[in-house]
Amino acid sequence: MDSIQYIGEHLLPGKLGHFAIILGFVSALFAAFSYFQANRKEEVNNSWRTFGRIGFLVHGLAVFTVISTIFYVMVQHYYEYHYVWSHVNEELPFQFIFSAFWEGQEGSFLLWMFWHVVLGFILMFTAKKWESPVLGTLALVEAFLGAMILGVYIGFGDDPFRLGSNPLLLLRDVMDAPIFNNADYLSLIEGNGLNPLLQNYWMTIHPPTLFLGFASTVVPFCYAVAGLLKKDPTGWLKPVFPWALFSAAVLGTGILMGGAWAYEALSFGGYWAWDPVENMSLVPWLVLVAGLHTNLIAKSTGHSVKATYLFYALSFILILYSTFMTRSGVLGDTSVHAFTEMGLESQLILFVLFFTLFAAVPFIRNFKSIPGPKEEEKVSSKEFWMFLGSLILFFSAIMITASTSLPVWNKIMTYFDPLFEGRTIKDPVAHYNKYQLWIGVFIGLMSGFAQYLRWKEMNWQKRAGRIMIRIGIAAAVTMVICYLISLWIELYSWQYVVLLFAGVFTVVCNLDYLISFAKANLKTAASVISHVGFGVMIVGILASGLNQYHISSNPFAQQGLIDPDRLDKNIMLFKGLPMFMSGYKVTYLDDHFEGNNRIYDIRFEELNEDGLVIDSFSVHPTALYDNKVTKVAAYNPDTRHRLHKDIFTHIASIPLREADAEAARAEEDSLKFKSYPLLPEQGQIVVDTFFGGDSSIVREYNFRFVKWNFEPTSEDYKAEPGDITLGATIEIDNPRKDTTYTVEPMLLLRGSLLYTFPIQVQPIAMKVRLGEEAMNRLVPDEESLDYTELKLKQGDSAPLSGYDLEFVRFNTEPNHPEYKSKEGDIAVGATFLVKEEGTVVDTLEPMYLIRENRPYNLKDQSGSTGIHLRFTALDPGTETIEIYAAKAEIDETIPLEIAKSPRTDFLILESIVFPGINLVWAGSIAMLFGLLLASYNRFRG
Amino acid sequence: MKPTFIAALVLIAGAIGLFIWSGQDMDTYSNFSQATDKMGETVKVVGQLAKDKEMHYDPHQDPNYFTFYVNDQSGEQRKVIYYAAKPQDFELSEGIVMTGKMKGDEFVATDLLMKCPSKYKDEEIFVRDEQKETTTG
Repeated sequence: MDSIQYIGEHLLPGKLGHFAIILGFVSALFAAFSYFQANRKEEVNNSWRTFGRIGFLVHGLAVFTVISTIFYVMVQHYYEYHYVWSHVNEELPFQFIFSAFWEGQEGSFLLWMFWHVVLGFILMFTAKKWESPVLGTLALVEAFLGAMILGVYIGFGDDPFRLGSNPLLLLRDVMDAPIFNNADYLSLIEGNGLNPLLQNYWMTIHPPTLFLGFASTVVPFCYAVAGLLKKDPTGWLKPVFPWALFSAAVLGTGILMGGAWAYEALSFGGYWAWDPVENMSLVPWLVLVAGLHTNLIAKSTGHSVKATYLFYALSFILILYSTFMTRSGVLGDTSVHAFTEMGLESQLILFVLFFTLFAAVPFIRNFKSIPGPKEEEKVSSKEFWMFLGSLILFFSAIMITASTSLPVWNKIMTYFDPLFEGRTIKDPVAHYNKYQLWIGVFIGLMSGFAQYLRWKEMNWQKRAGRIMIRIGIAAAVTMVICYLISLWIELYSWQYVVLLFAGVFTVVCNLDYLISFAKANLKTAASVISHVGFGVMIVGILASGLNQYHISSNPFAQQGLIDPDRLDKNIMLFKGLPMFMSGYKVTYLDDHFEGNNRIYDIRFEELNEDGLVIDSFSVHPTALYDNKVTKVAAYNPDTRHRLHKDIFTHIASIPLREADAEAARAEEDSLKFKSYPLLPEQGQIVVDTFFGGDSSIVREYNFRFVKWNFEPTSEDYKAEPGDITLGATIEIDNPRKDTTYTVEPMLLLRGSLLYTFPIQVQPIAMKVRLGEEAMNRLVPDEESLDYTELKLKQGDSAPLSGYDLEFVRFNTEPNHPEYKSKEGDIAVGATFLVKEEGTVVDTLEPMYLIRENRPYNLKDQSGSTGIHLRFTALDPGTETIEIYAAKAEIDETIPLEIAKSPRTDFLILESIVFPGINLVWAGSIAMLFGLLLASYNRFRG
Repeated sequence: MKPTFIAALVLIAGAIGLFIWSGQDMDTYSNFSQATDKMGETVKVVGQLAKDKEMHYDPHQDPNYFTFYVNDQSGEQRKVIYYAAKPQDFELSEGIVMTGKMKGDEFVATDLLMKCPSKYKDEEIFVRDEQKETTTG
């Protein structure tokens, strides 16, 4: 196939991009080498450092070039590139190009590298004497990341080792398809586009934030290692602190956004599910926060230097481990997230192991030189409890990592014992909650009373009494608040009561501390805000987690009438028919399309015990169709926010015929129409046992013909000139005879094709259509017509089968639906009134045409009377026209056809109330804001 | 002894205790016959959707009742009842991880995890459709 000269390919960006990838990799290695050399020198400012800077700058430019190149080919829709073809298509709005860029693994690696480069540039100017070891380490990390997109084959033979996956590979190099035999294949293909589920603003903001969080954890790692590389094992503790705070704030925001995305835009029905992907981003954060606290201890007292080193190093290593977990496919059976494997497993493992050793080896070798505490910390000191708190956070991280790593463990075991049976957690949510509850209790209590303690407490005897009283008062206040909260939410078991106490306790203590001791100084405010936020979040989790309930559930479930295995989360709503459920009156009003998004309008009215409406609102959950609007891709929820609760609604299902065009056609074809000829004025009784109904109850529907309609309308019908249409208005009484439905099925004759437009009568689950033979009324078989010749002058009348035909005038600008005027045409129409007993019942205008010396006539017909007129000749001398007139024999029966057809105007709704969920958001935002504020304070200080 | 040291010891002891305790939360994946032996106990079963057998979901009758057949990894086929709406694109799933318990001959699932082939990464090249060809060029 090499010989084919492909048409229209743009190969230059690919070559440029791949060159930049290789340059980026090599320059990162060069920068790392130079910076490490520079670090070995005594003086800070040396020529190796200059080389390191040049190397890192080149690396940064190379990364920007790769990213720009990929954006360029994506924006240009160059489908010859596999990455472009996989993530973009013509329909993709420009605003989602960024999302499409980082949808793929290669793009997300580049996003990660991009943030490293930005952070590296800032550090280059601010890190001063730490620049060489910090940036050396960072450059080494960049080299490993760069290797992920290198796309270089090492080794020979049929199966060489592939190092990295190049995002700029050509489609025809990745896939083997016959279409590539065509030199002009590019004009034939289209892109895959972005998964519709990801076409929302969350996909635009969540990944950059999360990856900035990931990327920023490298800074504490670099500083920690730098301390040992520079033989200054404590000097780094101060400059690293604001960076670590920043990283915790950003990574926390990224995780929180993930939760908010799951809750707001996906149908998970919650913000946290202990899914492996969530866990593995939480764990580095927990360890980082543990590190922040030991860092503070180390700065203030000199204790916990080793712990700080370990926590910061581990936080970054866990980020790498999490990358391995989520990108290697090992989580396949345990996570709801979808993963695409790139075949980089061994490279990812190497990545994790290398940096684990990179941090561990100098730590072990220099263990003795890292200063330890000169004296023991006292139990009454702040550092003791703060250290214990850090240990507990770390302990929480170990527990989560261990449980989440079960699939990794299973995989390892199968290498040793192929028959090893993998183990799994039976109920992950219960499992994690069970332990993390106690972590929450400890953290809540400790972060409460530890605020009152002092560093290196020397004077405990004197202060003890006062502090104990304060803590006692705080506990009493907490109990009162807990009691009040228990009036609002149900707590179910004593463990939750303890957790609630701990959460409220930290809020009370921290606020008290801020007001009475710290006098609202800015530095302490940051810590207080974070700890108060933590407490508030705990209360929110208890309220929304324990007390969430399905309002769409079956009311009988609570009364024990229904099998307890039943989940009964969903309820069926018919359009326009209100349903009462758990104190709400819910009505599905309507739906409409916006692009490929089908938006439902559902009205909620909350009722009090007296049945009065106390709150009413609309929610708009959606069904998101694929890009061609043929099939539902996903259902997106909508949530109404109230101050004390959220009402989450989500469509669980819509009728198959609405959800899938292919299934709709199949179902349409399988409908069994049966003919029910109707006579006008007579009506017809249809009994539904005919349909093979499942019950023995006989239901009768009365069908009545109302009138023919010669200009019918239908939602699906767009009028075009030349169309011949016929509709029949039919009234149907439902079996109880209390409701009458009026329907108007229609037929359309366009060219030589006859279309029928059946009408779905939703409430009685029937489909009604007009038999094709009804068209004979308008377009009878020409041979069956018995034409009479008439010679008429303007103003003349002639009788025809009980009607009078009056020739009113000539029309020199005739407007016949089948006539398209052409130069040189001589065209004239003859306007006739059709009268029945002196009353005009219709107007007809047959037409006479001479084109290129040949005579033509275009007939006109009256649907209501069955009269057909042809204008066959014109004598200009006498102004007499020759008309052929005929009256068709009209069959009076209306050929109605009816099929049983299930209703399609319903949806299956899931609706959950989350009480107090705003406390979760407010609390976690406060926690992260506190971290950011602290970071800001420390950067300035 | 240093108080930190004691605290660390207590935590480590607690950790070991919790790990032993957490053993009861773990289980191997079961097949249907093992699930039958543990009748009434919640287990996880990995299997494949039996595509030749009928899936039943009729929201008119019951919007919270969905049944299908699954072949477990030893090839045994059982009917599965899931008291909820039929998940979107269920028929496309390749493998299913089900949480639930046996009830008589049937498996009552409380949670389904579907492994779907990546829908938007089909290894086939879409050829532009005719209409678009005429409108775009």
